[in-house]
Amino acid sequence: MKRFFSILTLLIALPGVVFASGGHQPELEKANNSLADKDSLQRGAVLFSNYCMACHSVKYMRYNRIARDIGWDDDTVVAKMSKGTARVVDNVETRMMPGVGQQVLGKTPPDLSLMARLRGTDYIYSFLRGFELDETTGEWDNKLLQGTSMPHVLENMQRHFKPEDYVQSTRDIANFLEYVGEPAKLQRYDLGWKVLAFLFLLIILTYLLKKEYWRDVKH
Amino acid sequence: MSSNEQQDVKNLTRRKVLTAATGVVGAAGATFLAVPFVSSWQPSEKAKAAGAPVEADLSQMQPGQMLTVSWRGKPVWIVKRTSRMLELLPTLNANLRDPQSESSDQPAYCKNTFRSTKEEYLVVIGICTHLGCAPLYRPAEKSADMGDDWKGGFFCPCHGSTYDLAGRVFQGVPAPKNLEIPPYRYLSDSVIRIGEDPEEGVA
Amino acid sequence: MQTQENKPQNSLLAWIDARYPLVSTWNLHVGQYYAPKNFNFWYFFGSLALLVLVNQILTGVWLTMSFKPSAVEAFNSVEYIMRDVEWGWLIRYLHSTGASAFFIVIYLHMMRGLLYGSYKNPRELIWLIGMLLFLVLMAEAFMGYLLPWGQMSFWGAQVIISLFGAIPVIGPDLAVWIRGDFVISDATLNRFFALHVIALPLVLIILVFMHIVALHQVGSNNPDGVEIKKYKNDQGLPIDGIPFHPYYSVKDLFGTSVFLFFFAVVVFYMPEGGGYFLEKPNFEPANPLKTPDHIAPVWYFTPFYAILRAVPDKLLGVAAMGGAIAVLFAMPWLDRCKVKSIRYRGVSYKILLTMLVVSFVVLGWLGTQPATPELTKLARIFTAAYFLFFIILPFTSVSERTKPVPERVS
Repeated sequence: MKRFFSILTLLIALPGVVFASGGHQPELEKANNSLADKDSLQRGAVLFSNYCMACHSVKYMRYNRIARDIGWDDDTVVAKMSKGTARVVDNVETRMMPGVGQQVLGKTPPDLSLMARLRGTDYIYSFLRGFELDETTGEWDNKLLQGTSMPHVLENMQRHFKPEDYVQSTRDIANFLEYVGEPAKLQRYDLGWKVLAFLFLLIILTYLLKKEYWRDVKH
Repeated sequence: MSSNEQQDVKNLTRRKVLTAATGVVGAAGATFLAVPFVSSWQPSEKAKAAGAPVEADLSQMQPGQMLTVSWRGKPVWIVKRTSRMLELLPTLNANLRDPQSESSDQPAYCKNTFRSTKEEYLVVIGICTHLGCAPLYRPAEKSADMGDDWKGGFFCPCHGSTYDLAGRVFQGVPAPKNLEIPPYRYLSDSVIRIGEDPEEGVA
Repeated sequence: MQTQENKPQNSLLAWIDARYPLVSTWNLHVGQYYAPKNFNFWYFFGSLALLVLVNQILTGVWLTMSFKPSAVEAFNSVEYIMRDVEWGWLIRYLHSTGASAFFIVIYLHMMRGLLYGSYKNPRELIWLIGMLLFLVLMAEAFMGYLLPWGQMSFWGAQVIISLFGAIPVIGPDLAVWIRGDFVISDATLNRFFALHVIALPLVLIILVFMHIVALHQVGSNNPDGVEIKKYKNDQGLPIDGIPFHPYYSVKDLFGTSVFLFFFAVVVFYMPEGGGYFLEKPNFEPANPLKTPDHIAPVWYFTPFYAILRAVPDKLLGVAAMGGAIAVLFAMPWLDRCKVKSIRYRGVSYKILLTMLVVSFVVLGWLGTQPATPELTKLARIFTAAYFLFFIILPFTSVSERTKPVPERVS
């Protein structure tokens, strides 16, 4: 019997091993963000609007949902994120006209609703911080995505902000995009422990019940 | 022997208590589990977005003209009533089923003579309170198909219900109530937002 | 608790019972179904499989209420469920986690059968029906995985359906017929949806019913692998048996609670299952023009997928993969040892079974990895080991040095 337990353990441990060994990407920096940090999410939302929404959308999100989840009221969210041009029930669309991305950048900028789930929050953080100036050509490139069509939109911020503020700003954007990837995450964490506590109680009760009935059974 | 029996009785009690406790906790769990399944039938955020307040510009409306806008998938009529129309309204009371709108549906701020916040503009949901047909707009007095007594109003072609120009139902027709008035407020003199009460936010 | 009384006291019950065999059915399958008293934790997984099936049907029905089975809308409608539908995220995670839980439970359930010889005379049919269930479940899971219409959905289905193209003569036409198009398309999605939500669940339910009826016909096996029906008391009841209700119903309640606890941990704190339950590339909509860098089927298919890749020939690879499943059907006849339980079996079976389990797990891991030359070599070794189990077993099992089996359960 012991053997099968050890196999079971192996079965459970394997995915971790695999996960650790996978990936050919350059080392990612840890974003160290926290969805519980509402201020960071609010700053991230504003930064996203200012620096990203010129080209990118998060089309599966609605403004009112963002407001509800990160602690704004309806008027604030449209004022801060759409300069009052969108209704609170609207999805968060890009400000770029259709087709412009293809013309100017050679590629339609992707929707970012699920980017954090597709690539991970650390990837977004590292990507934002991964722009490097090629001294010979004088052009920016990204070490995570060589030849990316995306310009270094945070260039000014990187030049003029204090380094720790720049770190915090990129972290805020990554944090916001993680939230956008799965807005239910906040509810999920909140509800989870209550459900587990309930099930723990049920385990105890059903265990006692089983033991009580099984007194009848002679071994 | 007797101590054994006592032990058995004690165990039976314990068994009953545990069964009941598990039953109660289990039932509570089942009830909690039902919540997501039941509430997922509520209108989704998309449906709510489609049902969000709509705005209409009244500046181009001519007296007597009717404008239809869609709110929550329902037709909302906005009628710019002439002063003649407004004069006639109080004279109809005797022929109406519910002239004071006592048993009809409207926001408190529209429960008045003209069933509106601004006398000129009637804002009403264009669904007959009988069985949900869309009544026709017959604003003219003595309208050809309505007969000589007609003072202007709405006529439902399905079962012949008639309403006046405040959406109040006449006597002797199948419709039970006056036409429903949606919540609305004026954002400016000529822009109206339907689906929102004047003071508080979304209705 | 009345055991022998078959006539209901309650008048409503009597009324029903005159028209429908309610009480006798209850007694036959629950109230007076005598199960061996020595079940251990391996015996939880049957009832848990039933629980997961119910979860899948319930959440599945609810998902269909908001899901749109079309290539244009499917991906969006899943995000719609995740964000716009009230509690949609929970219902979706219950379903996606349930799919993986189903296979975990089923694999352990099958393991139980291998440990205690539950497939042997007189339970061969239970095993066969169970294997059929496993096969239908794989089809069900495969078709369900296409529905979210992400990159993995699309390319996984593309690869698996292409396997049918390996069949000589009819293969290519068959693959086109299954897809209803020359690539995976709207037509494929739509028909997979129909099969996933109606046809296959119906088959599953019927097979589960037959599985249980067959079990109750011959009675449950147990960790000692002895037949409890051999020794009966003066009332004709097996001495080592206890009525399923209340003894195993309360025990299964406990098992269910423990299972639900772990299930909830995944649903609430790791619904992606480390990228194994919900694969990352599936958060990108299907794109027929771009294959993801690394595609792997969902974890529960990877052992068979690794076998497929291990064979350097398309047709033989498909045959090996099919054979890996088919050979399990033959277990009752490949294993010729009279002793059922591993407790009293010889060393040879213990070694062989360990080899089978290890190869299965390692192949499962290999199936998730890119096929590098070294890993392919490893996959070949373990594929050979997997099949070796079934090849050697008929010979070793005849002359196994077994221990004496007790007359009654210990």
